[in-house]
Amino acid sequence: MLEELTAGFPVLSCILFLPVLGAIVLWLFEDEDMVRTSALAITLLELALSVFVLLRFVPESAAMQFAERVRWIPALGISYHLGVDGISVLFVGLTAFLSVLVVIYSWDTIRHQVKLYMMCLLALETTTMGVFVSLDLILFFVFWELMLIPSYFLIKLWGGGAERHSAALKFVLYTLLGSVFMLVGIALLNINFHQWASLHHTDQSYSFDLLELLSAPIPMDQQILIFWLMFMGFAFKAPIFPFHTWLPDALMEGPIGMAVVLAGLKLGTFGFMRFSLPLLPDASQSDTVVIVVVVLGLCAILYGAWMALVQPDFRRLLAYSSVSHLGFIVVGLFSLNYQGLQGSLLTMINLGFSTAGLFFIAGFLYSRQQSTQLSAFGGMAKQVPLLATFFLIIGLASIGLPGTNGFVGEFLILLGAFKAKWWFGAVAVLGVIFGAAYFLWYYERAMLGPVGKAVKQTMSDLQLREIVIAVSLSVMILWIGLYPSPFLRIMNGSVQALVDRLNHGTVAALGSSTAEKGR
Amino acid sequence: MTFTLTLSFADLLLLLPEIVLTCWLCLVVIVDFAFPRLPKEQLAILSITGLLATLGCLVWFDVTHVSGALFGNMFVLDRMAIFFKIFIVGSTALVILASIQYVERFRFFRGEYYVLVVMSALGMMFMSSANDLLSLFVSLEFSTLGFYILVGYLREDLASNEAGLKFFILGVFAAGLLAYGISLVYGETGKLVFSDMNLSATPGAIIGFLLIFAALGFKIGAVPFHSWIPDTYHGAPTPVTAYLSIAPKGAAFAILLRIFFVALASFKPMWVILLVAVSILSMTYANIVAIAQRNIKRLLAYSGIAQVGNVLIGLAAGTKMGNDAIMFYLLAYLFANLGAFAVVIAVSHAIGSDDIDDYNGLGRRSPFLAFSMLVFLLSLAGVPPLAGFIGKLYIFIAAIKEGLYTLITVGLINIVISMYYYMIVVKKMYINEPTNPSPVTISGPMKAVVYVGLAGTLVIGIYPQPFIDWVVGATLMFSNLPVPSAIVTPSLPPFGG
Repeated sequence: MLEELTAGFPVLSCILFLPVLGAIVLWLFEDEDMVRTSALAITLLELALSVFVLLRFVPESAAMQFAERVRWIPALGISYHLGVDGISVLFVGLTAFLSVLVVIYSWDTIRHQVKLYMMCLLALETTTMGVFVSLDLILFFVFWELMLIPSYFLIKLWGGGAERHSAALKFVLYTLLGSVFMLVGIALLNINFHQWASLHHTDQSYSFDLLELLSAPIPMDQQILIFWLMFMGFAFKAPIFPFHTWLPDALMEGPIGMAVVLAGLKLGTFGFMRFSLPLLPDASQSDTVVIVVVVLGLCAILYGAWMALVQPDFRRLLAYSSVSHLGFIVVGLFSLNYQGLQGSLLTMINLGFSTAGLFFIAGFLYSRQQSTQLSAFGGMAKQVPLLATFFLIIGLASIGLPGTNGFVGEFLILLGAFKAKWWFGAVAVLGVIFGAAYFLWYYERAMLGPVGKAVKQTMSDLQLREIVIAVSLSVMILWIGLYPSPFLRIMNGSVQALVDRLNHGTVAALGSSTAEKGR
Repeated sequence: MTFTLTLSFADLLLLLPEIVLTCWLCLVVIVDFAFPRLPKEQLAILSITGLLATLGCLVWFDVTHVSGALFGNMFVLDRMAIFFKIFIVGSTALVILASIQYVERFRFFRGEYYVLVVMSALGMMFMSSANDLLSLFVSLEFSTLGFYILVGYLREDLASNEAGLKFFILGVFAAGLLAYGISLVYGETGKLVFSDMNLSATPGAIIGFLLIFAALGFKIGAVPFHSWIPDTYHGAPTPVTAYLSIAPKGAAFAILLRIFFVALASFKPMWVILLVAVSILSMTYANIVAIAQRNIKRLLAYSGIAQVGNVLIGLAAGTKMGNDAIMFYLLAYLFANLGAFAVVIAVSHAIGSDDIDDYNGLGRRSPFLAFSMLVFLLSLAGVPPLAGFIGKLYIFIAAIKEGLYTLITVGLINIVISMYYYMIVVKKMYINEPTNPSPVTISGPMKAVVYVGLAGTLVIGIYPQPFIDWVVGATLMFSNLPVPSAIVTPSLPPFGG
């Protein structure tokens, strides 16, 4: 019955445009509580739609599901093409989930221009969703760029730090710099398709459609060029060491809600998995690319962890730990085997719970001590036992303790890395050790031991809203940690298809194109 | 050359839009003199009506595919000419609408202002149809004549006088170059009509065309022929600046397209290098200098130079697709730039200043104007899904197809630089505290112009297909050009070049 009702229902379009339409509705309200309630209602509805998609998603399949396709600008081969597969569907759920939590968190922590804040937040949700569900590269790029505008305002208007103005501009310009190079890569893909299609006399001469682009073979030198161009876009956004310098600033200076989205949703590495690897399988496997990218990843793991170790500020620590985690993801991706890819994908999702969760914790700490500096903490576990407990749970997940979700992901990545080259794994393991060190050391100094001088005598423990956030995150962390198979099953089909794609490359198709040239 | 003028009535039909506008121009002059007490807004409305009638003619021509040539091919009417005429007439109507309030600042000759604006439009319409060197010269000077006066229209304002004088001296110099170039080309070939020229690369012809290009480069304001732009844009009455930044560029590009693709089609490898150089210079110089500007009109002046650099990327591609992209880009530029200037006019009317610092807190003083400015600036910067993004994408695809990687790289880096100074204005509007929190009011006609700009920017951005179809149809005559197409070279050239 439900199936019939929902057969032709454009659920992804609804997911995509619900938040932005909601933002317009918010504009009409004057009352701040009304704005907050409506924003929560919209994000909850969005979450319900996403859960619906997750439930109806057919696992163990590589097909694009819930696909919608309308021609948008036929002259340039641009279409409005949405769809989810095992790689992207979990991100849809994660985005909706985190948005709800951010709205709950912002309920009483954002006090000025609430309406504009919620509108920016909802606009950001739409653009983020757009990045995950777009199957047309230009459509993807549109959302990828549009995301900068609400982000810019969020960092700038509601950021706490003194440097937020330059942080916001730095964020926009760095990301833009990367994405203009990516745009050239996308255009090259389009022109390559055009040339291939003209040779084969197909009707449509231009296309930006991911599925159509996959069918066109790309010569090796072109692949390498396009790979590096797209690498620039994804590396700046991810960010991958050494393109990460905007991240600590943006996370430090921006509001917690923005930091949750920036650090929780790994858009850059998602881009690699969605576009670079399948579109450019031969380039992705060439020795230079693998070595360069993996070495950058390994540097990021060690550098990020090392920097995190010495940060007195918790948010900056989290920023560097993000850099380190992204290093893990990159190493997993470019191990280019089943375990590595699966581990990377799962880790991206996991970090959405754990890193984002730690940012919430940072927010909780900030609202109690008006600071996230270590000097403001010390021995707080006695006063705020609940906060300390959730801090520990989420933190242990982020360092990958067995039983939490972080373990499953990191274990798979290490397995993949060892399988690819032993020294990939050997160096990455060091990162795990450092990771445990920086987190536990910081936790010990902040929460345990003697009570710090600056710690207030009367401090309230977690309030209801904060408990809701912490509990829902912990539930997800333990669920994935103890029973990951539903999540892995959703991914399996697409990850397997990606591995097959990597193994076969575009070589078979290349053969036909060389034959064409010979003729 | 003997010249036999045999005109039938049907031939004259091709001139109908120009004839309509000429008659209307006379009507406006007569009404202005006959009824001196008539409020000048009525004259504006009268002029706009005339322009709309002309626009109607043009649209009718475009729909019914009227085309032909007159006066021994001096004057051609094809779909490309019609496109540019619609572009010019449309922008003129919007400029007049945006002028209504501003005209009150002039102490004298308020009625003549509208006459001069329409007269320049008439000149530019002839420019879009100019198909030989003589009509090029005459129509170009005809249109510039009106601008010489318009730029210095604020008689009590020193800056406006300075602007008028600078524009005049440099404009006359450019006219001299043009005349000299034409005489050299005519001396080498003995022909005036572009399509009749059978060129060989003699020094005279090369120098001649370089001089013609310099004169047209002056018109579009490309580096190194841009030196008049900042001061003129700064000093001129703001509606005139808006006009100057859009319509003459469109008309000059119409002529550039004809010269490069008809007269110089066989010399493509040579002029591509020239255009690449000019494009790189324009974008880089203008974007870097724009960062330091404190006056919004100067900022938009430099941004306009940079935008021309972008358009030249499409011209450098030298293909039909490149031409389509140019025309599409100009369309996107029309709405975004005119809209931005409309906001500037509205703001300067309300607060009496063009300093970027006085835009502080505009987001609170007038949410509508600030939001519109945001949209226009983002469109100029090329942020999706606005018109400017599709325009840039179109141009880049055309250029990448021809393997102009150096140019593309420079263009992309320039997008990032331009984003910086556009974002500075955005920051001032939304983040900074207003020095004077009183709300900024906006008059009805200005609001209409801003709405048209917004509608154009958003519609072209979100649903560009009909506009793409239009420009693709308008350049069909270029579709069998002797240019290398992608089918000849199956794989793209390596990086570089």
